[in-house]
Amino acid sequence: MAELEKIKVLYIDDEVNNLIGFKASFRLDYKIFTANNTPEALLHLSKHPDIRVIFCDQRMPDKTGVQFFKEIKSIYPHPIRILLTGYTDIEAVIEAINLSNIFRYVTKPWIDADIISSIEEASRFYMANSMIFIKNEELQKAYDELDKFAYSVTHDVRGPLLSILGAIDVAQYVDNIPDLRDMLKMMEESVKNLDSYIQNIHDYHNVKRGELHIEEIDFNEIVKEQEEIFKLTSRLKNIKLAINVVQHEPFRCDKISLKMILNNLLSNAFKFQTKDNKDKCVDLNIQVATGTAIIYVKDNGIGIHSNDIGEIFNMFYRATTEQNGAGFGLYNVKDALIKLNGEITVQSELGEGSVFKVSIPNK
Amino acid sequence: MTARKRHFIVIDDNKLDCFIAEKIILNTGVSEKISVFDDARKALEYIREEIDFTPGSKLVILVDIQMPMMNGFEFVEAFESLPEETRNKFVVFMLTSSINQSDLNRISNYTSVLQLLNKPLSVVKLTSMMAVLS
Repeated sequence: MAELEKIKVLYIDDEVNNLIGFKASFRLDYKIFTANNTPEALLHLSKHPDIRVIFCDQRMPDKTGVQFFKEIKSIYPHPIRILLTGYTDIEAVIEAINLSNIFRYVTKPWIDADIISSIEEASRFYMANSMIFIKNEELQKAYDELDKFAYSVTHDVRGPLLSILGAIDVAQYVDNIPDLRDMLKMMEESVKNLDSYIQNIHDYHNVKRGELHIEEIDFNEIVKEQEEIFKLTSRLKNIKLAINVVQHEPFRCDKISLKMILNNLLSNAFKFQTKDNKDKCVDLNIQVATGTAIIYVKDNGIGIHSNDIGEIFNMFYRATTEQNGAGFGLYNVKDALIKLNGEITVQSELGEGSVFKVSIPNK
Repeated sequence: MTARKRHFIVIDDNKLDCFIAEKIILNTGVSEKISVFDDARKALEYIREEIDFTPGSKLVILVDIQMPMMNGFEFVEAFESLPEETRNKFVVFMLTSSINQSDLNRISNYTSVLQLLNKPLSVVKLTSMMAVLS
């Protein structure tokens, strides 16, 4: 078994001979740490937080094993505690169970088979506990997001619906045709918002729960697709789209995530433009070299306030009322990049524009 | 009962909702003036500086809850920290699409909020609001 995979065991005893004997008997199967006193044991624990099992002698000059376990219980709750003693002292047993929540009680001199079975049992218990701990953390995170989700649904889904409902009501006594047209335009916006929210939920779910499908990526092909999507916006809103792709080496990644990332960044770049600017432009630059894809999405739009830069990747965060949106897009981008071991950074100047830089390693 | 015409301040980041509110207020014939803000911070600035109002006639604020940058709660908190003399010129109504109980509970803590109304605003709702006022 490789050294790394061995279960880490710590043994504390004031009798050096016991330590030597213990190490000699079990070092082939386990990674054994020994300590002559409790300060030394604490040093091991702080250096090796993944120690799974701790054996401790009960009668030591500085403190008892029970005292030691009681002390470390809250600082190092994960290692499994086993008390080792030559005295069958019922008081100590009671204390050990009640105060230091030990897993087992092994008598000295020990039988090797007892120690081995204790370590194996303790390790299984440790694994099960760690699993529960990890799952609990994941569950808590999922619950928190679900709460945010449920909350946002009332605003981001119900909001546009109620707006449309209100507009229908008002439309019944508006006779002025241009006014009605304005309203229809705004209703259309509401419907589009609702639709993009649903699209975002779909992306969110894909990123969270979906498996990555790693395949060969041709950036020219992906970019061409995005170009088609934004062609109309580009023409209608008079925003120039400049594209530059340099890919001389194969690149492997998850295509769906890549498309989602590009689409969100481009969509933001097109969305957050300065109204009166005569030379609106969006710049997409992709360089694939030495196993990394670097993507720049640059715009000369409204920019991001420095106070908001730290927040824009948070779920449901919106930095402006200028444009509609649920505050979902960049959250999904960041989440996808975490899965791809990628990174995103942003540089922005209010009124000057923003540059998003994404780097993704080849898979 | 002669209804007094009032100055309305509508605060909502959603353009359509602002438009609806404006139309309804106009059509109900209860307003002498409507000011619309898509950013609560601008509205707050306006309220702080607004001195041009008819004595004895309170200005009516309609504020949405969920807005970016400054939401309805933050707006009301900022409003409540204004000097009493300024606050007395206004009545505050909150409008929301929220069905979230903790939002609703939170609103009941704000003494300056006269009523919470569900979106969308309608002639019937506005009329009953006005009835509360007079």
